[in-house]
Amino acid sequence: MSNKKVSKKDITKLLSQWSQQFTVLVPSKESGVAEMAEWDGKDTSFLDWYRNTVVPPKASFLPPMEEMFHFQKDKEGYRIELPPNEHKQLIFSIRPCDARALAIIDANFKDLYQDPYYLSKRKSAVLVGLGCTNPSQSCFCTSLGISPAESTDVDLMLTDIGDQFLVEEITDKGKELIAKTSGLKEATKDDETKAKEAKEAASQRITRKINTEGIIDKLLASFDDKDYWEKIAAKCISCGVCTLLCPTCYCFDINDELVRQEGTRFRSLDSCSFPVYTKMPMENPRQEKWRRVRQKVCHKFGFFPMSFNVIACTGCGRCIRLCPVNWDITQTLASLPVKAEVGK
Amino acid sequence: MTTTDISPSRFLAQGNVYLPHIVVIEKIIEETPGVRTLHFNFKDEKLRKEFTFQSGQFAQYSVFGIGEAPFCISSSPTRHDHLEFAVQRVGRVTNALHRLGVGAELGFRGPYGNSFPLDFLQGKNLVFVGGGIGLAPLRSLIWNVIDNRDRYEKIDIVYGARTPADLCFKYDLEAWGKDKTVKFVTTVDRGEASWTGKVGVVPKILEEAAPSAKNAVAIVCGPPIMIRFTFPVLEKLGFTPEQMLTTLEKRMKCGIGKCGRCNIGNIYVCRDGPVFSYAQIKSFVSSEY
Repeated sequence: MSNKKVSKKDITKLLSQWSQQFTVLVPSKESGVAEMAEWDGKDTSFLDWYRNTVVPPKASFLPPMEEMFHFQKDKEGYRIELPPNEHKQLIFSIRPCDARALAIIDANFKDLYQDPYYLSKRKSAVLVGLGCTNPSQSCFCTSLGISPAESTDVDLMLTDIGDQFLVEEITDKGKELIAKTSGLKEATKDDETKAKEAKEAASQRITRKINTEGIIDKLLASFDDKDYWEKIAAKCISCGVCTLLCPTCYCFDINDELVRQEGTRFRSLDSCSFPVYTKMPMENPRQEKWRRVRQKVCHKFGFFPMSFNVIACTGCGRCIRLCPVNWDITQTLASLPVKAEVGK
Repeated sequence: MTTTDISPSRFLAQGNVYLPHIVVIEKIIEETPGVRTLHFNFKDEKLRKEFTFQSGQFAQYSVFGIGEAPFCISSSPTRHDHLEFAVQRVGRVTNALHRLGVGAELGFRGPYGNSFPLDFLQGKNLVFVGGGIGLAPLRSLIWNVIDNRDRYEKIDIVYGARTPADLCFKYDLEAWGKDKTVKFVTTVDRGEASWTGKVGVVPKILEEAAPSAKNAVAIVCGPPIMIRFTFPVLEKLGFTPEQMLTTLEKRMKCGIGKCGRCNIGNIYVCRDGPVFSYAQIKSFVSSEY
């Protein structure tokens, strides 16, 4: 199978073609915060500034707020109506870390009961990856088995090779899309070599590391060390940024909104950083901040892999870059007070 | 009332799991000043016939416009001409449930979670230990067991509340008191002039009643403090952690293991529970229960 390539100046043409079939989402700073937003049909300046979005692309599948259904009361009683379900999103230039994040949280939304809102959007979407050639110093994806410029979690993978992007067909869905797309050229051996070099160089740029060997046991052994967790949590202000903007955090809340006899049930992102997240009328198992910080760390690196055999972190570095008090997960994991015996 | 065998299969809703079924309140029993039982039925005729659940399972009930909250199904699957749940008035949704009247419509999703292990309980002596509204999940199982009385050996029930006015399900208490096949003790923490029953906290009265641990299983549900003090008494009576069952409660939103909040370590109370043995609880990573 030979790969394709597309000239950078032809990206507008490419996206225009895809816009006929899909809602094309590209990195945008229009709202003031870098996020994947609907392409305006002309602007491709993101190719110059884009390293990664602040808001992870999970927002296109698990939106910060999403209507689940609408309800209305008339003389027959309550009637429930589902919102229109016509998502056909194409995410252009998703990073390998964020594509992996979706593959990771798929497990949660498929487990036992299917989550129709998340899974229907996932099923209809096309992911076009763009290799990271300029990762941030807070990134540590290579420690989680992710290469910044390679991905099998996307449908098509693009690599910057100068004036062109090399285009690799990863899935059948990607192959079908390319078959219907015009303006692509066959990649040459020289293009392939350039892409290979770019990928290797990108991996080399990731210098921050974590050690995940035996991480579950280390966390379980450190679980009851209250002094340690209090120390780790001391500067946390429970703002929730590290979870709400984490590409693998999926916790949500469900609430109703009512105006007269009409209302909406919606779900919105929630965070284990907030005391109300676990609050019951009579008690709260995680009222204390250190318990909430412990939950966040242990869920990602302990409980989630205990359930789904994969760590719920991709090393995207957002929680490090965006934390207002410079809390650093890599430091926490490096300083676990591991005891000889696995504690209960 | 109809009595039937309980289907072991888990009833799984078709389609969008978050869409509630509409149920109608048929009867309301004011149990105590803060607790009421709601009897309800599905609006949909077909669902009314096909719906199945098992003792110990819970559901998400919604007051449209206010929100959803989880409660166990407190009636027995052996008596399915209607369903019941009991609500203590403590928060936003429960206050709304206390304002509703007969004929009001609710949203219902479920049943969710695991259930009391009937196969394990069969042929055993059963010791039920309940406190306050904690009798709700137990009474589902107690009636289930009484309706299949020959499958079980001795039945002991110890039930208590803070004061005589706080005793829930008084009609059940009366029925069990009269049932010659059941040994039933009721107690209050603080008595009053007209109270002729026992006075003392549930763990103390349980210790006095001293049911044998031989071929027995204890099923405990009540306020956390009662549960914490009951397990050591049962251990003293010779019950092993495998012989003690309880149901746990957590804040829940989805009810199906997805929204995150009801975890105790890697265990999700909604997905893996709410029924656990004390042996399981002791093996939990976290003591946040």
